[in-house]
Amino acid sequence: MITDTGIVVAFYVIGITTVASALMVAAVRDLIHAVLFLVLSFVGVAGIYVVLSADFVAVAQILIYAGAISVLLVFAVMLTPAGDRRNSETAFRAPAAVLAGLVLAVTVFVIYDTNWRIASHGQFGATAASLGRAFFKPYIVPFEVASVLLVAAMVGAIALTQEEGEDGAA
Amino acid sequence: MPALLTLITHNWYDIRDLSNLSGKIEQLIRDANGPGWLVFVVSALLGAAGIVSFIGVAAIINIWIERRVVGRMQSRLGPNRAGPFGLLQPVADAMKLMQKEVLQPKVADGLVFSLAPIAFTVPGILVMAVLPWGRNMALANVDAGVIFILALTSLGALAVFAGGYGSNNKYALFGAMRVIAMLVTYEIPSVLALLGLVLFSGTMNLSGIVLFQAKYWTPLLLVQPLPFIIYFISSSAELNRTPADLAEAESEIAGGYHVEYSGMKFGLFYAAELINAVSVSAIIATVFLGGWWFYKLDEVVPGWMIFIGKIYAVYFLFVWTRGTLPRFRIDQLLAFAWKWMTPMAFLNLVLVAAEVLIWNETGVSAGLVLPLYAVINTAFAGALIVAWVKVMGPKFSRFPERLRYYSQIDVPSLPAVAPRMDEGAPGLTEGRSA
Amino acid sequence: MPLKSEPVEVNIGPQHPSTHGVFRMVATIDGERITDVRMVVGYLHRSMEKLAEERTYTQNIPFTDRMDYLSAINSNLGYCLAVEKLAGIEVPERATVLRVIFSELQRIASHCMATGAFINDCGAWQTPVMYTFRDREKVLDLIEMTCGARITTNYIRIGGVAFDIPDEFLPALDRLVNDDLPQRFDEYDRLLVGNEIILMRARDVGVVTPELAINASLSGPMLRSAGIAWDLRKADPYCDYDTYAFDIPVGYNGDSYDRMVIRIEEMKQSLRIIRQAVHRLTGGPHKTEVPLALRPPEGEAYARIESPKGELGFYVVSDGGPAPYRWHVRAPSLINLSVLKEMTVGQTIADAIVTLGSIDINVGEVDR
Repeated sequence: MITDTGIVVAFYVIGITTVASALMVAAVRDLIHAVLFLVLSFVGVAGIYVVLSADFVAVAQILIYAGAISVLLVFAVMLTPAGDRRNSETAFRAPAAVLAGLVLAVTVFVIYDTNWRIASHGQFGATAASLGRAFFKPYIVPFEVASVLLVAAMVGAIALTQEEGEDGAA
Repeated sequence: MPALLTLITHNWYDIRDLSNLSGKIEQLIRDANGPGWLVFVVSALLGAAGIVSFIGVAAIINIWIERRVVGRMQSRLGPNRAGPFGLLQPVADAMKLMQKEVLQPKVADGLVFSLAPIAFTVPGILVMAVLPWGRNMALANVDAGVIFILALTSLGALAVFAGGYGSNNKYALFGAMRVIAMLVTYEIPSVLALLGLVLFSGTMNLSGIVLFQAKYWTPLLLVQPLPFIIYFISSSAELNRTPADLAEAESEIAGGYHVEYSGMKFGLFYAAELINAVSVSAIIATVFLGGWWFYKLDEVVPGWMIFIGKIYAVYFLFVWTRGTLPRFRIDQLLAFAWKWMTPMAFLNLVLVAAEVLIWNETGVSAGLVLPLYAVINTAFAGALIVAWVKVMGPKFSRFPERLRYYSQIDVPSLPAVAPRMDEGAPGLTEGRSA
Repeated sequence: MPLKSEPVEVNIGPQHPSTHGVFRMVATIDGERITDVRMVVGYLHRSMEKLAEERTYTQNIPFTDRMDYLSAINSNLGYCLAVEKLAGIEVPERATVLRVIFSELQRIASHCMATGAFINDCGAWQTPVMYTFRDREKVLDLIEMTCGARITTNYIRIGGVAFDIPDEFLPALDRLVNDDLPQRFDEYDRLLVGNEIILMRARDVGVVTPELAINASLSGPMLRSAGIAWDLRKADPYCDYDTYAFDIPVGYNGDSYDRMVIRIEEMKQSLRIIRQAVHRLTGGPHKTEVPLALRPPEGEAYARIESPKGELGFYVVSDGGPAPYRWHVRAPSLINLSVLKEMTVGQTIADAIVTLGSIDINVGEVDR
């Protein structure tokens, strides 16, 4: 078990913030507020990575999720008409709650049921170099496949949004 | 004399490196068998105190510097009444802002409106934490430091968006959306520009990049001029400074995202903008100019003094461009990033990768290879810029642009009775009615 | 999937940094693009034309100062020419030359202001406007030296000018015209005319076609930028302008950039005129004595001059009494402004601001 008081306190503070803001994402009515709470929960997740001594992943989490993904969400929200920009009532509320409860139950069950290998508190060392080595040595094929997939998705998105008869000169 | 020198060095009050002080305190805690986390907390508080006091002074001084320097550029004096050389002018301004009533529009989104200035201030200060202020003077020597600063500089735009959206004002919303569009666009070239440096120096640790430059006695600016230009432009877009200050665009959208802010909330935005300018100048000073290192000077002068000197050298460049250039239009600015800077940054990255590969494979001495690379890269940057301008430069319809000069003009003789409109007066066939 | 945004109506003005006064422009925009513009004028209306019917001809001159307060002397001149035409008053030779000198000085001051403010609208952080203001100040110093006022001069009077020039005026004018300003205008050329960002911002922005320019009765730099050579100093000479050698710069494209360059060129041409005029200064009176309560014979007169903004016309009707029966102003700012919609629809907000700046309106003259 981790015994360092600082780490434990940090974990609980960050964890509660993350979960609370994630709950607020679903609870608030205004979609922009939801996006801002989502950013907060992304930052919280990054904090948990820091607690786990994964500094590169934490920073990448902030750069990609809090910086880029949230901006895309903002764009998406702003492009919806103002009238639809509410987290409005829906008939799927009860089924969604049931589904979410099931997922939570399964997750909690897995957490308790798995025989976790508990590592001792790791060194706060350089993770970027080892990550890079892992990507380019043993996991080169999945890495490349993912890259190709992303490029394909990007090209597809551009092709889909291109209007008919538009020559792309803007 | 040497005895005197040893008195002020290697002691906790040695001002050349504040790590002496924190090291001493750490030692004390260890000796007293204090808990391990206390060391971190105390040294973090010490570093934070140092950084915040620097930022507090810098924000005040920067207003003065900016106004004085720009005043000189505009052939006027700038503030010179309050205090010696007008140095107290920013203090007076701050007092005024504090006394002003903080207005909040009735329709504003209260919480978002109030939190945005605070959220905007945080990233600029956090960046300071990972910068090496001296040989052992980085508060957080984060291994992925470069990515960390990139992540933080992108967060500020979100706060600006929140402010603009929370104001519930059309102008503010324009500013907010422009910030978001600029963030998406300028993030890419700035990341690519810094990536080239990371590749070249082989580390993402900011202290490591400074040490690399100190080791080879070369500021990376000399070896990689193109990333410097790209990063400078894209960071001035992210900072909302004049060639790219579209988010506030005084003359178009009347202040943009902070149009509804008043009093100290506006003051916080204003201060945060200056703090961000200092942070970005500090990043450039670290990564391109060698941070606390300056040839042999850092053995005599405290490293942080050299660093601050470099920060203000870069900051002067920002003030200079701000005082000189008019503003781009938003589509021109975005096109500039997508069509010019992103491809250039990619090409530069490929070139740097090849250079690093050659250097590693052949193992030629640095003294030979670095000047060679500097020449190659400078020539490459120049050629690329010229070629891009030739191929993709702005083309205006309907030249020529020179004027014609008439010393005599023909005065048409008016008919005695003007033709009625329905009879079709000459030259009135189209136009006005449309 | 076409992405369409909602049209939004944005009030640009009456309190906006770039509307050059209290002018209001209600723009309907789609994203950043303007689809419709509605102009609202009248925030500075002081009903001068009606007030003038209650005052004597001489008392009306200060009203003209407050119309286009950036080129007050030109407004004075236009009004005085109309009254002189109505009453058949001869103006002494010296007064005519002084009128030419001062109206050209005022043109320089006005164009300095227009150019600086235009670049400010392009988004420069005050630097060009400070440069042009510096030069405008020098011109205003000369005007102040002669008549004691800088903005609302009330200098040109019916039958001549109010004061003769002081002794130190001519040396100062010589320094300014032959030494100071030519250097400054070359500096503008280097700083502004070839500036890449200004080219990008102002080229093909706010285009006026020649047909539109003629049909909308535009005048001044607006008309000349559209490629039509027309300048009242040549087309309908007043104050012996036909005897001076100067050129009229004319553009090709009718865009904002052409208008800026034309203004800079016109300032250089004004220097040429002033240099010639100084040599024509003869002795003699600077004013014909006219009775304070002038009663022109019954009739009407229209006089027009080329003010910095365009054709400034004054239409004065007399019923034989001491006050004009009707007094009407053809204000170039208002008429040039009338094509704003045609110029801005389809552009972005930023372009609309640049366009408005390039028209060089003065709301004091628009609303009167």
